[in-house]
Amino acid sequence: MNENMILIIEFLGMQRTLAGADSIEMPVTARSRVDNVLEYVRNKYPQLKLDKDTALVVVNQQLASRDQVLKADDIISFLPFISGG
Amino acid sequence: MEIVRQIKYKPARVAGGYTDRLLKIDLGSREINVEKLAPDFKDKYTGGRGYALKAIWDGTTGKTRYDSPENILVMASGPLGNEPGFPGTGKFIVGTISPMTGTFIDSNVGGHFGPLLKLAGFDALAVTGISKEEVVILIDGDARTIAIAEAPRYDKETDDGALSFGDRLLKDINGGEYSDCLAAVSAGRGALHARYGLIHSLYYDIRRHRIRAKQAARGGTGTVMRAKGLKSIVVRSSLPKANGNNPFDKKGVRAAGRALKQVISKADPTQLHLSAWGTTILSEYMDKFHIFPVDNYQYGQSPDSAKLFAHVFLDNYFSHRIPDGCYYGCNLACAKGAENVELTRGPAAGRKVSIDGPEYETVGAVACMGIFDPQYVMEYNWYCDEYGIDVISTGVTIAFFMECFERGYLSVDDTGYELKFGSIAAADMCLHEIAGGRGFGKIAGQGVARGKTWVAKKYAARNKASQDEVMAELDKFGMEVKGLEFSMYITKESLAQQGGYGFSLKGPQHDEAWLIFIDQVYQELPTLEDKAEALKWFPLIRTWFNATGLCKLHWIDVRNPEAAATDEPSKNLPTLAHYVDYLNATTGSKKGLQDILDDSERLYILQKLINLRQGRGTRLHDQIPLRAMAPAFFNEYQSRAEYYDLWLGQNGGVRKLPASPKQRHKLLIERRKRDYQQLCDVVYEKKGFTPKGIPGREIVARFGLLDEKARRLLDEMGA
Repeated sequence: MNENMILIIEFLGMQRTLAGADSIEMPVTARSRVDNVLEYVRNKYPQLKLDKDTALVVVNQQLASRDQVLKADDIISFLPFISGG
Repeated sequence: MEIVRQIKYKPARVAGGYTDRLLKIDLGSREINVEKLAPDFKDKYTGGRGYALKAIWDGTTGKTRYDSPENILVMASGPLGNEPGFPGTGKFIVGTISPMTGTFIDSNVGGHFGPLLKLAGFDALAVTGISKEEVVILIDGDARTIAIAEAPRYDKETDDGALSFGDRLLKDINGGEYSDCLAAVSAGRGALHARYGLIHSLYYDIRRHRIRAKQAARGGTGTVMRAKGLKSIVVRSSLPKANGNNPFDKKGVRAAGRALKQVISKADPTQLHLSAWGTTILSEYMDKFHIFPVDNYQYGQSPDSAKLFAHVFLDNYFSHRIPDGCYYGCNLACAKGAENVELTRGPAAGRKVSIDGPEYETVGAVACMGIFDPQYVMEYNWYCDEYGIDVISTGVTIAFFMECFERGYLSVDDTGYELKFGSIAAADMCLHEIAGGRGFGKIAGQGVARGKTWVAKKYAARNKASQDEVMAELDKFGMEVKGLEFSMYITKESLAQQGGYGFSLKGPQHDEAWLIFIDQVYQELPTLEDKAEALKWFPLIRTWFNATGLCKLHWIDVRNPEAAATDEPSKNLPTLAHYVDYLNATTGSKKGLQDILDDSERLYILQKLINLRQGRGTRLHDQIPLRAMAPAFFNEYQSRAEYYDLWLGQNGGVRKLPASPKQRHKLLIERRKRDYQQLCDVVYEKKGFTPKGIPGREIVARFGLLDEKARRLLDEMGA
């Protein structure tokens, strides 16, 4: 693992309250994928109740697939479904 | 209270969700009539918005204006309103000819008024005529009387306030006690001066022990009400609310309600969590994706936005742990409120008030004026409610004039003060002037569309410029379509939502289609065909909610986990199945989803015909301001230049970018304009309209709407 390679996980809305942080850093390797991040957060913050099947993951404000490979300094966030009132 | 006219009546029993009765009141002649609707009326027009549309189509003409005596103010729930066993059944529709758009406006609102009106014996209420004196209407299902009475006079502060007057009246009528057997609608003094006056739906909240308010806020419904000389309508019924619809299949209703409530209980806490935060939670997500309408929709984000995120209101204002449904049985409970908030500005400074809200739209409206002060959000919320004016149109109109001021179209000589983005003092001054019809507020109370004309005339005369050329510039950033101000979402990066606002029959309010995230973020609508399909399907299903007396949030803002396994998750079809079950169990029908969409399409086409008749129905009227599709000015382009340049390469089909940023900005505008026109072509074809946006005869006939009036109208349109 390249120790210098990290990405940022941002918590939005209710997630911020439940996680007790605005964001965290996660060390990753050159082969890390979105799924690895999701698993990491699910384990570290089970109170977020991120559903592994339905959670929407956004990388740098673009919707990401589960097998997308990540790079250093990527910003990851998890979105709820928002469809307008 | 002096009764000027009263009749006795026998309330019709609700059966299968309907009473089949329409209450017609003419405030000019003081006639009160209970009309029995034909048995097939409900089959064709469903309820709610459908009943309002039919009344307006039959009872008004192309010459009818908002303040014409023949204009009709319709209030109607729907067959599925009034069932505590199913969540979100307190909605009703206010429909009329709008002072903003000159055509049909419908505004949906929660509370108890719609359900109680039905229990008092009426599917709909239609008010015509103009009273010389200010009056109130009293519909008493218990006493079996309907009365027109002179509006009581209390004290000036109470009489002027939409909240205060309605609150006092509800108490007075019931011997000084609040009761959840009573509900009211009311309009305030702001509606006497501004075109965007609203109607409150007032109800007694047994948990908060006070009267609460929801609003039919869009399009000037309250302005119509006050133009009729009508200050309030009170309805009373002590009939049990449970099983109030006398459904055909009580077990079926209970099962459908239970199933939907389970979805909400399970899914909402892991998604938006509206039950805790209310809709203020949206501010953060909108800011994150450049959709928050900062400085009159110029910028989608601000470093200061976090001051207006949901946790700020939850920590500092909202009462915690109170289930806040606006009608019984709602477990989404998004109607948040605050108690004992001390006002620091305006004529009521120092007073401690209860505030219902803020909703996301109020927060967005304040950000639209460049203000990021949560206390001001609360006070703006309360004053708009007490004056009875729409938070959206008020904020967008002030923001438009702020931009006019900052771009040099207006000066202190025109406004009386420095009307700049971020100035609470200026925004607050303008708000109170609007409500009082004073100073610059007389102009601002007319809204953006009329404001543009006023500014263009003034600026052109002062600078010996062409009024048309000035108007063309103002059109770029005056955020209105068909005369109605945009609701609080930036659409520059979502072509689908540009259509969602542009094609919306009432004007750019998001309750007809809200596709921004589906399109821009989730990228579920990659092609023009996908966008066109969504722009047909979503307005139809959303129309159905407005016709049946239902809140949409339980369907659209809480994604059923089972939707993930469907072909089109964004339609949330597993949840819609519960609605279809509820409909059939209530009314005894055997409908499927396509039947519902067909019922809605009839109403959609009828509304389109009304728009055509009122001169607001063609492609020309579906055009949106440049700022809704692109960065209108260079400063907006510069704020995201890297993103826009990338877009030109990836989506705009540009192989080699022009060297200068100004050329790239110009090219971006050209591409966005081209895309919107292409969208119009594809959407009209999908909807069965001509390229001019006019429905073809075949589709009008298919829904049984090709009567003589429609025939003549389409002849005139050359369709």
